[in-house]
Amino acid sequence: MGTTRVLVVDDELIMRESLAGWLERDGYEVEKAASGEEALEKSKSSKYDILIVDIKMEGMSGLDLLKHVNENDPEAAVIMITAYGSISTAIEAMKNGACDYLLKPFDPNELGIIIEKITEGQAQARENLFLRQQHKDRTRFESMIGQSKSMQDVFDLIQDVAPSNSTVLITGETGTGKGLAAKAIHANSSRSNGPFVMVNCGAIPEHLMESELFGYQKGAFTDAKETKKGRLEMAHGGTLFLDEIGEIGMRMQIDLLRVLEDRVLYRVGGTQPIEADFRIIAATNKNLEEEIKEKRFRKDLYYRINVITFKMPPLRERKDDIFLIADHFLNRFSQETNKQVDKISREAMDEMMLYDWPGNVRELQNAIERGVVISKNRTLGPEDLPILCSEKKGGPGGRSLRNMEKEHIEDILQENKWNISRSAKVLGIDRSTLYNKLKLYNIEKPS
Amino acid sequence: MSSSLEKRILISPIGSQDEEVLLLISTAVQTFFGCETGILPVLDNIDFAIDFKRNQYHSTVILDRLSELAPRDTLKILAVTGFDLFIPIFTYVFGEAQLGGKACIISTHRLSRDLPSMEWEEGFKKRAVKEALHELGHTFKLTHCKEKHCIMRYSRSIEDVDNKSREFCRYCRQLLDDEMGAVEAFKS
Repeated sequence: MGTTRVLVVDDELIMRESLAGWLERDGYEVEKAASGEEALEKSKSSKYDILIVDIKMEGMSGLDLLKHVNENDPEAAVIMITAYGSISTAIEAMKNGACDYLLKPFDPNELGIIIEKITEGQAQARENLFLRQQHKDRTRFESMIGQSKSMQDVFDLIQDVAPSNSTVLITGETGTGKGLAAKAIHANSSRSNGPFVMVNCGAIPEHLMESELFGYQKGAFTDAKETKKGRLEMAHGGTLFLDEIGEIGMRMQIDLLRVLEDRVLYRVGGTQPIEADFRIIAATNKNLEEEIKEKRFRKDLYYRINVITFKMPPLRERKDDIFLIADHFLNRFSQETNKQVDKISREAMDEMMLYDWPGNVRELQNAIERGVVISKNRTLGPEDLPILCSEKKGGPGGRSLRNMEKEHIEDILQENKWNISRSAKVLGIDRSTLYNKLKLYNIEKPS
Repeated sequence: MSSSLEKRILISPIGSQDEEVLLLISTAVQTFFGCETGILPVLDNIDFAIDFKRNQYHSTVILDRLSELAPRDTLKILAVTGFDLFIPIFTYVFGEAQLGGKACIISTHRLSRDLPSMEWEEGFKKRAVKEALHELGHTFKLTHCKEKHCIMRYSRSIEDVDNKSREFCRYCRQLLDDEMGAVEAFKS
């Protein structure tokens, strides 16, 4: 951070000079203006961290200048000074956005304390902005990668639902990025400065779930030697992400429902109600309606969490994104492992496009990570991708998907007398994709 | 004119001042600024700077007059007064200096506050020396320092004066040495 820039605005020369002189000795970069109009001109061409403005001046008053500064440069802090001791004017100035006010002449302590408080606040705000920006960049980078229509729709939906406080239910297969979508909602919400607390409902044993979620009071049970906050309490002011909510037990469903309805919670063994101020985002790979039919999930809880619902598309339904995601992970893992693997071969990419990725993005991530680790070349080839290699070995009956696809293409081509356009139409792919596949499988027109 | 005379820092009492305090300041100035010093009153009185409403003396006006009247062989002039000083924007100041200029002034008026009677004399002298070195530092272009114990740290209260040391921190020492070097080069 550079030197703090201060503009002293006072139509009284002696006041202006004495204040500017003191500020200069205090190490600030100081400029002076003899009127509100001059200050306004200066603030249009230069940026000041702090303006110290006399309220009562000939021409444009300090209050008018304050309004202009607030409009033009809301980050600048304005301290009002007045020789008239009019508290009502000072209060009006504070209402209009002044940081503080001082009655002339003031104690040197007072100004020093006010300026220090302001500069510390501004430094903190800059730091927060930097961290938030960094966090946002990372979120955008790591999580929601996708140029496909289905992912663009998800992005739009997240942008729309994030600002509200409504409960969100994210469905989708495992590995589709439900957790990342939840984080993206939190990051784009008004609660983004608050905590994002995740509970993997499928990973916590039933008997530990209550104390994990609600915390406990010292002495509540034998091992409760200290009072401990639960995840719900920790999420105060932020977002509680209940991952795999379909795995939560029936007893806990009742407790959770009560919290959602009453907006208060009690620690295990506690009698003091604790305010439950968090937004809930839940995720599941189960069909909760089926679970309700099977009486494994409470209908009332389902209605509570099913306010806004969206589905994360599986990777096989957005194959356009495979290259983008694979390239992202290739960069990331080659940096992390310090290995120079910077390309994916065309053959490997074709193989990836043919694969269905039942484990979705997570499976693709793991495949690339392993590939980078074992690869001996700068280019990742099909031999470096384990899933694709095992696929080549063939499935049940010794016929792999690849072989089946190859045979199917050959059949269709034969049926259509090697008319590429017609065959592509029958296969449901475009001509260029069909040409790529012919090349991939070494399919040649019989002579 | 000899170079030693040109480097003289003048300690200039205004009104009656404890000679021992002046000597202590003089010795400290010699030690910290490496200059010869002299003790010489330049102003008989400072009535021209009084503000009757406030019953205080406007230090900026005094500095201007000191600059004009300082003998030609004076590198810097430090006035020491028992009168209460102010600058218009503040209710009071312990002292004032022309940043990078010739003159500075300290007031001992508020330096005796909150001292235990047993340590009164010693405490008072320590405070006066610290304020003198601080204001002189400004005339060598040093601004207030954030280092907790540096002599150039701004004293908001008399406790702050007591809490800081009598030393320049290494940054201010370096800046002071640079400035002294620049002054020396200019003279030669």
